[in-house]
Amino acid sequence: MLEVRGVQARYGDAQALWGVDLDVAAGEMVCIVGPNGAGKTTLVKTIAGLHAAAAGSVRMDGVELTAVPGHKVCDYGVATVPEGRRVFGHMTVRDNLLLGAYRRAARRVYRETEEEVYRLFPRLRERQGQLAGSLSGGEQQMLAIGRALMARPRLLLLDEPSLGLAPVIVDEVFDALAAVTRTGMGVLVVEQDVQRALEACGRGYLLIEGRIVTAGTTEALRSTDEVRQRVLGM
Amino acid sequence: MTATAGTTTAGSATAGTGAPKTVGTIPRGLLVLIGVSALVAVVATFSSDLGLASYHLVLISTVLFWATQATSWNLLSGFAGYFSFGQGAFLGVGVFTMAVMAGRNDVNYLLAIPVGGLLAGVLAFVIGAVAFRLRSLRGEIFALLTLAVPFILGSIALNTRSIDGGLGTTIPTPDRPDWVPSFQHLMVLLNLGAATIAVAVALAVYHSRLGRGLAAVHDAEDAAEVVGVPTFRYKMTAIVLGGVLGGMSGAIFAMMLGYVEVPVVFVLYIPLFIILICVAGGRRHWAGPLIGAALLVVLTEWFKVAKLDQYRDIVLGLLLVGIVVIAPDGMFGRLRRHPWIALVTFLVVAGGLLASGYYAELDALLYGMAASVVVTTLAGLPRVERLWRRQATSDSPAAPAAAPGPGTGAGSATRSSTGFAAPPPPPPGGRVLVSVEGVTKDFGGVRALDNVSFDVTEGEIVGLVGPNGSGKTTMVNLLCGAMQPTAGAITIDGRAIKGLAPHRVAHAGVARTYQIPKPFTSMTVRDNVAMAVMFGRTGASYAEARQRAEQCLATVHMQHLADALPESLNLHQRQLLEMARAIAAEPAVLILDEAFAGLNPAEIDDAVAVIRRIHASGVSIIIVEHRLRVLQQLATRIVVLNRGTLIADGAPSTVLNDAVVVQAYLGRQRA
Amino acid sequence: MNTVQVVLSGAMLGGLYALMAAGVSVTWGVLRVINLAHFGLILLGAYLTYQLVTIWRVNPLVTLVVTVPALFVLGALLQWAYDRLNIVEFNSLLVSFGLLIVMIQVAQNIWTADHRELPRDINPFDTGSLSLGPIVLPYDRLVCLGLAVLLLGGGHLALQRTFVGRGMRAFAEDRTVAASFGIDHRRLSVLLGGAAGASAGIAGMAFMLGNLIQPSHAYEWFGIVFAVVILGGLGNLLGTLFAGISVGALSGLVGVLWSHAYVPIAVFAAIIVALVLRPQGVFVRRRAV
Repeated sequence: MLEVRGVQARYGDAQALWGVDLDVAAGEMVCIVGPNGAGKTTLVKTIAGLHAAAAGSVRMDGVELTAVPGHKVCDYGVATVPEGRRVFGHMTVRDNLLLGAYRRAARRVYRETEEEVYRLFPRLRERQGQLAGSLSGGEQQMLAIGRALMARPRLLLLDEPSLGLAPVIVDEVFDALAAVTRTGMGVLVVEQDVQRALEACGRGYLLIEGRIVTAGTTEALRSTDEVRQRVLGM
Repeated sequence: MTATAGTTTAGSATAGTGAPKTVGTIPRGLLVLIGVSALVAVVATFSSDLGLASYHLVLISTVLFWATQATSWNLLSGFAGYFSFGQGAFLGVGVFTMAVMAGRNDVNYLLAIPVGGLLAGVLAFVIGAVAFRLRSLRGEIFALLTLAVPFILGSIALNTRSIDGGLGTTIPTPDRPDWVPSFQHLMVLLNLGAATIAVAVALAVYHSRLGRGLAAVHDAEDAAEVVGVPTFRYKMTAIVLGGVLGGMSGAIFAMMLGYVEVPVVFVLYIPLFIILICVAGGRRHWAGPLIGAALLVVLTEWFKVAKLDQYRDIVLGLLLVGIVVIAPDGMFGRLRRHPWIALVTFLVVAGGLLASGYYAELDALLYGMAASVVVTTLAGLPRVERLWRRQATSDSPAAPAAAPGPGTGAGSATRSSTGFAAPPPPPPGGRVLVSVEGVTKDFGGVRALDNVSFDVTEGEIVGLVGPNGSGKTTMVNLLCGAMQPTAGAITIDGRAIKGLAPHRVAHAGVARTYQIPKPFTSMTVRDNVAMAVMFGRTGASYAEARQRAEQCLATVHMQHLADALPESLNLHQRQLLEMARAIAAEPAVLILDEAFAGLNPAEIDDAVAVIRRIHASGVSIIIVEHRLRVLQQLATRIVVLNRGTLIADGAPSTVLNDAVVVQAYLGRQRA
Repeated sequence: MNTVQVVLSGAMLGGLYALMAAGVSVTWGVLRVINLAHFGLILLGAYLTYQLVTIWRVNPLVTLVVTVPALFVLGALLQWAYDRLNIVEFNSLLVSFGLLIVMIQVAQNIWTADHRELPRDINPFDTGSLSLGPIVLPYDRLVCLGLAVLLLGGGHLALQRTFVGRGMRAFAEDRTVAASFGIDHRRLSVLLGGAAGASAGIAGMAFMLGNLIQPSHAYEWFGIVFAVVILGGLGNLLGTLFAGISVGALSGLVGVLWSHAYVPIAVFAAIIVALVLRPQGVFVRRRAV
């Protein structure tokens, strides 16, 4: 479904990605792990059209996305859960969710999607009228995921969903992602919490200093010394 | 005619010597200024012998008056970038001081002028004290607040009988000494005096610590604070100086008006015209307002004479829009590159038109200026420039930027010598430089740091690590005084820093770099570093500071880029610049915040070598970093934060094998 | 009783301030454009109302049919240009100031600097008033307040309840994330600019009901309108409405208790106090963290 080929990205003179290839199929959860500063966030932003690729191609079901402006990428079925959640703190929980359904195709069915999101995260239903800024970190993460789901994407991009969350909450988040994957959605997770990511995902990529170093099933990855070595430096 | 020629000369004289700014420029600039002023004074005094009509004197007075106001405004708003609409208020205070003292109470005008300056200075002090104390104050809000001040003063004046009361005041024709032939001559001399003082002040400020500090505030205010610039005091000084000068000149303005009433003085047109002058002329240099005043006053006078008054504001408004959109730096930057072309074009065109006899003086002046602007702009086009200037590299300040990718080359040389895998030096059991005791920091309801304690001893390189959101950046901000802890205490070299302003913490011996470099964009690499020396603990002079900056640049291998502007550097070089600026302050402790972010492996190795050199020169270092691999090579000790608490503190090898740390980094171990 | 009367009629006049402030507040809050040219649009709205009423001899409210679409287009064009040239924050202050001067001069060249007012025989709101016991409520101010409640209340609801409104609020908070959900800043700018322009047309009409107009009035609105904008909180229409009414009432109160001369000082002091205590605006729901 998602095909990334030879993507390069830079910030001014600093090159962050040096030719990245990766694939995500419908109904699978794939993770990208790697140490901080490896370019994981840049990769997510580049796929989501929020950062221009310097070279290479990003295709979604065969449609080239690198030329599509950032605000149109969601029309091709890609929704993002950004790093640090970035919920709209001055808006209510429900408003945040409805904003997710901003694009026309999603607007038509927003009531049904909203129900699905509440079923996935019952806590959000309880907090509907509350300002998103007043939620706890875990609830905000659920809201950010729910907001992305409201756009009815075929591919969900998540950047560091476990960041700053208590382990119990992280479990909940990954359970929800697994449930989403079972509906046939593709999920691409960027994670610093290597263990957790490898546990939850079917396949994974190890990204180091802007390059994919190893790829494969998470079983295989887990046994690679390289992961332990390169991420921890031991 | 004379006035404008005079100002252009003043501008071009410094422009010629402007590129290598040495201390010698102050006296030289002052000499030129005094010379020009004397020339104008002589021409004005003997104007009738030279065949100048009284109308010319009025024009000279007007140019001088607006030049004074614009120069005063520029001290704060141009140099430091805090736009103010309040200059009209200072001017107004001066006007009404003259009206009340000379107009209503028969006090000598020579007394009223300084009193006007004094009162306006007091007003400026009050505005500054209120506005600059507001922590959340952004530039736009400052501008809008100052917008209100003239209106408030206007309504007070209108409703106070002893000031105006809606009646207006006639200023009596002033007595003048015998050697001054007429009232208009007196006005020229008074305005000339005020303008000379104002420009002298601007010139002195521009070349002084104050001026450099204000420029740093303009470029990056928080970085300025960190290198030790007392920003509040400097901004106050600038606004008060601008107030005093504006008030004095306003008092003279009252005499020019002859009859003073509120609707003439407290109008938006006045601050607007001042802003327009400076935006058109150029705000970062003291000469910008002079050029702007000459251009715009002649332009508006031309409209008046041509009886096109009803189009004047349309043209001025569009001019403001056009300049902001097309040439936000103003004319000065363009004229300074080709001062002689500018002057010669102006003299030839204006002189030629005058000599032809078909054109009035004003037309000739305006067309001359327009031609000068057009020609210098054209001459500034790269293609044209290449035609006539072959050795373009010799005096263009941005040229050395072309130097090829330096970091890697220099780095590879040192890499072998430093010994890449060499174990870090053992920590000497010296004195404690930084002591963090039970520090807690809350943001709203979120606890970013929870009861964290650790020490840094002299000679150590401490790695401060932790996953994203673990509180590292908060810790850095607390250490350099940008934030205050909710609980707990931090001491630097035995001195508690609680409640100290960031620049005082800097003087206590803390220097930092930013993850995203914040260079002073208007200054060369050398001057960026020199700023930190000047405003550091020792407070060296500019010349000394530049010399010491060379040494600091040598430490980071950046000497060859000393004359480049920051915008031409790549990320690695900018981070090296951050380090050079930080060590220039001669800190006891240097905090490096993610100094390797975004660098490629070769650049990281280079940066590691630089950090080793800095450490070898006797600076203790705290490195905030994600990459444990780098820290293993570099740090003598590692402190690990996770979710705001300290979870490990010890030698790199022990810490990196600690189960808790592994879990924080790799996540929960599989059961 | 006099005090109550003054405060009430001040509060009603506050409706006019709120109408004027709405456009400034929304473009500043959402698009980060401080549009001083908005005052020029209000001026234009007022003069257009005057012109149309004098020619057609109709009720001033009817002229909105023409002025609102006209100013919508003008406002939209203006924001489109700002967006295109990427003029925000400080530069927008300067550029729009330049445009404002141009607009004032144009108005002066067309309608001269003399006072203009709606012909008294056609303006049904000019002299009449509603009497509630001893309290007299002049019609023109009632209309101002009514329009303000309608327009700002309606705008508030639109911002709260519609998809586009939510998009605007989201855009104001975090442009990047908003864009990733399909919000196009160009269309948003044009739409918001148009809405602000339309509100300027209504404000201009409302001003004409009980006042004389003169080109230099645009400058005189500055102080009080920005006070309302800052007190109300950027981009917050309900806050702007309450701030307008409060500033109006405060002005009335200060005027009757001390002197009219102290009104600007009182308002200015209120802004300073507000900036110190509540930098995000007084009439803003406090954000729970």
